[in-house]
Amino acid sequence: MSKPELWVIAERRLDHVEPTTFQLLTKARQLAGDRFHTVAILFEATNDHLETELQPYAPDEIRIVRDDRFPTATDAEHADALAQLVAQYQPNSILFGATITGRSIAPRLQAKLLTGLTADCLDLRFDDETLVATKPSYGDNIMCEIICPDHRPQMATVRPNTFVAEPATGTAELTPVTVAFHPVERLQVKTATPVVNTATTVGDASRVVALGRGAANTATIDTATRLAEKLGGRIGVSRPLTDLDRFTHDDQIGQSGNTIHPDLILNFGISGAVQYLVGMQSAKTIVAVNSDSNAPIFDVADYGYVGDANAFMTALLAQFV
Amino acid sequence: MKPKTIVVCIKQVPETNEVTIDPQTHNLDRRGLAGIMNPFDKNAVEQALQLADQTPAKVVLLSMGPDDYAESLREGMAMGADAGYLLSDRAFAGADTLATGYVIAQAIKQIGEVDLVLFGRQAVDADTGQVGPIVAEFLHQPQITYAASLRLSGDNEITAERLLEDTKQTLVAQLPAVVTVRSELNTPRYPTPRNIQLSFEKPLTIWHHDDLDLDDSRLGQAGSPTIVTKVYEPKPTKRELTSLTGTPTEAASQLIKALKAHQLI
Ligand SMILES: Cc1cc2nc3c(=O)[nH]c(=O)nc-3n(C[C@H](O)[C@H](O)[C@H](O)COP(=O)(O)OP(=O)(O)OC[C@H]3O[C@@H](n4cnc5c(N)ncnc54)[C@H](O)[C@@H]3O)c2cc1C
Ligand SMILES: Nc1ncnc2c1ncn2[C@@H]1O[C@H](COP(=O)(O)O)[C@@H](O)[C@H]1O
Repeated sequence: MSKPELWVIAERRLDHVEPTTFQLLTKARQLAGDRFHTVAILFEATNDHLETELQPYAPDEIRIVRDDRFPTATDAEHADALAQLVAQYQPNSILFGATITGRSIAPRLQAKLLTGLTADCLDLRFDDETLVATKPSYGDNIMCEIICPDHRPQMATVRPNTFVAEPATGTAELTPVTVAFHPVERLQVKTATPVVNTATTVGDASRVVALGRGAANTATIDTATRLAEKLGGRIGVSRPLTDLDRFTHDDQIGQSGNTIHPDLILNFGISGAVQYLVGMQSAKTIVAVNSDSNAPIFDVADYGYVGDANAFMTALLAQFV
Repeated sequence: MKPKTIVVCIKQVPETNEVTIDPQTHNLDRRGLAGIMNPFDKNAVEQALQLADQTPAKVVLLSMGPDDYAESLREGMAMGADAGYLLSDRAFAGADTLATGYVIAQAIKQIGEVDLVLFGRQAVDADTGQVGPIVAEFLHQPQITYAASLRLSGDNEITAERLLEDTKQTLVAQLPAVVTVRSELNTPRYPTPRNIQLSFEKPLTIWHHDDLDLDDSRLGQAGSPTIVTKVYEPKPTKRELTSLTGTPTEAASQLIKALKAHQLI
């Protein structure tokens, strides 16, 4: 008997594949072992070759729908096409990135298939062939494990940057597939303007200097900026600091900001609320400086100093050569 | 021109997200938590009211939940909505997003001749944002999710902006349609004393199971493909803390040594 299929729906971001797709392909491989057949589903225009971006993550197979209409298709048109593929291949499970696009198409597909969909997952595992998805609720204060025992496919959207993308060896089989395009007449995309965001975000940095309410005055931020430069890293902030003119939501770490996996994060004047911690707790090395020895941030830190943020930063800078 | 009918789906949620787990039952402990209208749904109500300023329209609120959800419906009517429907029945309890979307879609069909259905971006307790697209599919209507702006652009047409991660889209839909709104698109109004008073004279209809045309196998727990098998409070993974001690200069030098040892600097 052939193996059950575990699908990852590749998402496009301008002319490239959205990075969450790579993270999901990596996780899918780990989950699959040799029990599942991993498949990336890719919609692309006739002249595109986005499969070359997927190949390094080595799914067992990449199914490619080539049709110039899909890259700009609406949610319902995508869901319709996916429903056709599901009817043809009967996958066990389907993973989407919990991006705006993923979170718009997946529930529409779910309603077509009358199956279960777990949103914004922070972990996935299989018990036999049952997908166990961990989903936060109540603003990340509560975690739920959710299964969909009697309906297939099992579906989940997964929060970006929850898993780390790692290239793998293996050769994906490329399979062209066709589906009928059923246009939704009553909805037109009139204009689509690319929003080019060239600024590297705190999410890409391998070294992060993170500032919280206890490190929010101008002098401290200036010192931190120099420290971040010395480290070749970036500044990130807890949510209260996004109210300052110097920072935006793009700089925010945490549940409602960026989930990051840097090699090193130095936290200054951050108490360590759970909504902040979920965004950074998988950093390889965590350093915390806080004037309150009882701050929860120390529970998750590898190195901690009880004291003033600016004084410590200044001392650290002075000793860098 | 016939006035439009705009339905806004609202959910009632606990006033705070600081919920805990009952150590005995392992269930959520929501005792003593008052209910409020899901904050994101206020943006949807506000948007409906603004559209009703543009064109003659009736704004109807719809909520599925226990009887005390009537409070949120009153709150919405105090903001200015014209009427409310509460879908309340034991048979609806335990519904996941699919079963919730089914009952809401059936109720919208029952209201009849609905031009536009608005949703909040997500409920702050469940945080899924799925019910809107599910209802759109069940109604076979076009959907615009995460709308950043929304206006009537013709007799029977809406125009919305949608900000995807990489693209800003302008979408035009012929009514009827379903739209879920971002919270950035407006600032919800506060109820005025006069509107609060008026809200008690507005019709609030409760529909039970038998008032709707329903397939029982699609309701409540039986109609919900997903099952919650475990709830817990996340505990950040504790790490072994090495304390840096002494003056800032001494502590900084200890850190530099450690980071060098780990080849981090
Ligand atoms: C639904 C929801 C989503 C949220 N999402 C996020 C999110 O994505 N990201 C996020 O960050 N927050 C988020 N929050 C908010 C979060 O709960 C906390 O309120 C926030 O993280 C606190 O930020 P902070 O640690 O900077 O401030 P505080 O909690 O005020 O902590 C300041 C710390 O600085 C220390 N301090 C003061 N002076 C000094 C000094 N001179 N030197 C050193 N230390 C000093 C204090 O001891 C204290 O520990 C969210 C909340 C909710 C409800
Ligand atoms: N029980 C409900 N009754 C009415 N509307 C609901 C209900 N649950 C969810 N909604 C609507 O669907 C949106 C998304 O909810 P959710 O999918 O639960 O995050 C909410 O913002 C509401 O507009």
